[in-house]
Amino acid sequence: MNHFNVLVKKEFVQSVREFKIIWLPLVFIFLGITQPVVSYYLPLILKALGGGQGITIDPNMAAQKGGEVLASTLGSQFDQLGVMIIIVSMMGIIQSDKANGMLAFILTRPVTVISYISGKIISNYLFIACSVALGYLVSYAYTSLLFTAVNFIDLLVALLFYLVWILFIVSFTTMISTIFNSQGIIALISIVFLLACRIMVGLSPVIDNINPASMSKHAMELLIVGKTSMDVIWSLLAAFIFTALTIFITNAWISKKKFHSE
Amino acid sequence: MLSVTNLEKSYSDKKILNGVNLKVEKGEILGFVGANGAGKTTTLNIITGILDCNNGKIEINGLPKESGIEYKRQFFFIPDTINIYKNISGMDWILFLMNLYNNKNDEKLNEYVNLFGMQESIKKPTGTYSYGMLHKLLLIAAFTINPPIIIMDEPLNGLDPNAVLVFKRLIKQYVEKGGTVFFSTHLLDVAEKICNTVAILKEGKIILHDQIKNIIGEKSLESIFMEAQIYEGKTSIN
Repeated sequence: MNHFNVLVKKEFVQSVREFKIIWLPLVFIFLGITQPVVSYYLPLILKALGGGQGITIDPNMAAQKGGEVLASTLGSQFDQLGVMIIIVSMMGIIQSDKANGMLAFILTRPVTVISYISGKIISNYLFIACSVALGYLVSYAYTSLLFTAVNFIDLLVALLFYLVWILFIVSFTTMISTIFNSQGIIALISIVFLLACRIMVGLSPVIDNINPASMSKHAMELLIVGKTSMDVIWSLLAAFIFTALTIFITNAWISKKKFHSE
Repeated sequence: MLSVTNLEKSYSDKKILNGVNLKVEKGEILGFVGANGAGKTTTLNIITGILDCNNGKIEINGLPKESGIEYKRQFFFIPDTINIYKNISGMDWILFLMNLYNNKNDEKLNEYVNLFGMQESIKKPTGTYSYGMLHKLLLIAAFTINPPIIIMDEPLNGLDPNAVLVFKRLIKQYVEKGGTVFFSTHLLDVAEKICNTVAILKEGKIILHDQIKNIIGEKSLESIFMEAQIYEGKTSIN
């Protein structure tokens, strides 16, 4: 077993002991259920409660399709509350190791800095990706039940696109957690930057091509219209380059021993 | 085995290590003694890679510190302050460390767990451990992993009398089998009994480094230490 596997295994053991393995998938399942259920029952809720305030549903409103509802799960639930929850669950990923001396302890062992970082990023990413996928599949099940079914291949490809954006979120938060020492600052910078990336999607095609968050837009596009533009290649490339850049900065920061207050 | 040449370290304008030279031979138990702030922990932190030095050269078994992972494989370091994940059991920790060093020896592991009286507590999360138990945990890991050299910063802190006895016994066994020990301590009487060589550090410089039998003669290490401090113009007891 190489060191990377050992570190990944340790991270998983830690996630189990901290019950993260239970609560994070549950949160995403809840977010996944919310969108189709609320979309389906909203007309009934408004009919029952909104009449007094003059809120009514247009009877000629087109019925929502399954792909649109599933795209809203990604764009509304996962990209807002979901991203914030991922950041909060990860803000101490390196910071807590720095604060309690664990990073110094690990780095006096036969472990390379890159093994340590990749062990952290990949174990957390796999775990978060599984939670997101679980929430997404539950959302798909409810969407198929309450609305129309979504093409299965589109469903999987859209998930893969979305998980590229999640990879960037994980590596960016890891970098910020390495550079800063206060969890509040880490959460603030990560949330502001990543939500800003998401908000900027669609403002300019040029920015979209270099914005990792546009992978979320491509996933939604695929679910709604059943195809996506060739720009997805640029977005994919940009997402991987920026992810590699964050890992490079994290590695350089730790290698220069900037984690240790001298 | 361990060679430190002209080690220098400064924090801002303050010079902590002022050209430390040290050699620890195979099979040696070297006690690294000095007053508070002499630079013992800084020296150990530089040797083990927690800190970088401003100048100097370090080698273990002929491998320079810059050789990275192969260099780190030559030693097991037990720091004074042990910070490990609190939710992982002691056993999981030792297994994790054993995997990092690619060294698994379940028979020895169980033997040392029993010797240190950790049969029950080893299954519990390390967050429930006392300071002494954390030290015992890393001592068990060190002796099981059996690296070429064990480096320790105040290893006896927090240990109960039984654990101290076990520690002394295992250190001797480890050295007889070709291991090397380098540790810092404030406890001069313990250093005198355990070590075969002592190095005294004062204000970032080694002021005395020799075999115990050559330096103490009729005197105790404590009086030698005090004389060395006074000779250098200042006593640590005022």
